[in-house]
Amino acid sequence: MDALEILSTGAGMSVQDFGRHGWKRYGVPPSGAMDPHAAAWANRLAGNRDDAPVLELLLQGAGLLVLAARRFAVAGAEAGACIEAWHARTLQPGDRLVFPRNQKGLWTYVAAEGGFDVERVMGSASTYPRGGIGRALRAGDRLAVAGEANFAKVGEGWVAWGERRNYEDPPLLRIWKGPQWEWFDEMERTGFFSADWEVSNHSDRAGYRLEGARMNPPEGEMRSEPVLVGSIQVPPNGLPIVTMRDGPTVGGYPKIGIVDEGSLSWLAQCRPGVRFRMALIE
Amino acid sequence: MKWTPLGPRAVLIEFAEPDPDATRARGRAIQRLLESRGGGDIEDFSIAFDKVLLEFRNGIDHARQSAGWMKKFAALDPLAPAEAALYEIPVRYDGPDLAELAARCGLGVAEFVELHAAPIYDVALLGFSPGFPYLEGLDPRLHAPRRANPRPRVEAGAVAIGGSHTGIYSVESPGGWQWIGRTDVRLFDPSRREPSDEAMFLLRAGDRVKFVPAD
Repeated sequence: MDALEILSTGAGMSVQDFGRHGWKRYGVPPSGAMDPHAAAWANRLAGNRDDAPVLELLLQGAGLLVLAARRFAVAGAEAGACIEAWHARTLQPGDRLVFPRNQKGLWTYVAAEGGFDVERVMGSASTYPRGGIGRALRAGDRLAVAGEANFAKVGEGWVAWGERRNYEDPPLLRIWKGPQWEWFDEMERTGFFSADWEVSNHSDRAGYRLEGARMNPPEGEMRSEPVLVGSIQVPPNGLPIVTMRDGPTVGGYPKIGIVDEGSLSWLAQCRPGVRFRMALIE
Repeated sequence: MKWTPLGPRAVLIEFAEPDPDATRARGRAIQRLLESRGGGDIEDFSIAFDKVLLEFRNGIDHARQSAGWMKKFAALDPLAPAEAALYEIPVRYDGPDLAELAARCGLGVAEFVELHAAPIYDVALLGFSPGFPYLEGLDPRLHAPRRANPRPRVEAGAVAIGGSHTGIYSVESPGGWQWIGRTDVRLFDPSRREPSDEAMFLLRAGDRVKFVPAD
């Protein structure tokens, strides 16, 4: 049953779940929600499994028209919709869910009770636009949901304060040693972990460029090797790039560290201008 | 072989051998082993040249897992017969970088094309984009650095050279390789789903490719 019609896709809109795994050797990145913490909460509020397909919205400008009475939930970045972030409510046909003003963070998640019914490709509903994998969304498209609305459930809900995140104030990001850790000397390591960093404007679902300190990339050519999501690569210009969920599966730049998965969902929500620091997990 | 932990649930194992052919054969054998085993506690794996990345579903004891897997990898017989298909790929050698690159190599265009189309290439790995093959076997006279300014858009089917590799763009994307030709063969087609989603990919690591100049 169609639950939503897309009025506008805004700065960016895609379907995401927790990604496709087992396809890296074909050059296919995992994709999946940039902030799985928020995506999971949107689903829980809607009464779904944590990994059900959700809509992932970038910043602002998205507009959705409700076609079927259903419980909807919003989590992640607050963007001024009639359902506040970290809340759920039952909406009626004709209601509009519009996201006019991004206030904090980058990514907002919208879940519908039952989960969006989107064809799975390689085991996942996640859109990977560069590969032409999954469903690309356009204004006028309709999204179906799986299953019936369960009106016996309480229509409203919210996430406990302790689980809501203030994306303007990220914690210290936890970093594991990267495969080329030994290539970076003591001074480079110290500089890396004492700098205040922020995410550059030239960032997307494939990679986040960091600004804060210019590193001296280590000498020596390396052969391309398999890359893990969260890897912090240092290219010849000395400005680190963190491989995100749509990032390439192989890479040839030295990697000083790997962002821990728990910290990666925080990093994903850091807008340019939000300062953060990183600390090594010993 | 040696291993490096990558966070709480992944390990990178290096299996380089003195002879590059032996390394390649070992990589193929590792891929066959991991594919035949199915998922289990391994969520994903990928192999590039002399390294294999194992990603587990949960946190692992790196030393114990690595020791176990390195033992299995070392016991593989890399000479075991492997399925390797040969694909002939028609190419129109009319890429925007062809003339300049040939000149830089000190070759005429016809000679350059002949040298590029001569070898039977080996698919070292698929990476960069879904189904993009890194092909090994390029004549050293044709090795070329990547473009200083990557193109914002390279079309699917573009045949290109990057360093010591040649490759074929599988989807339209930005790209920094030297673009020398085009093919209509689709290396990645998300609409090919029978008998399984693997059918989307024309090539697999270990396959062989021969370019055939076309008008």
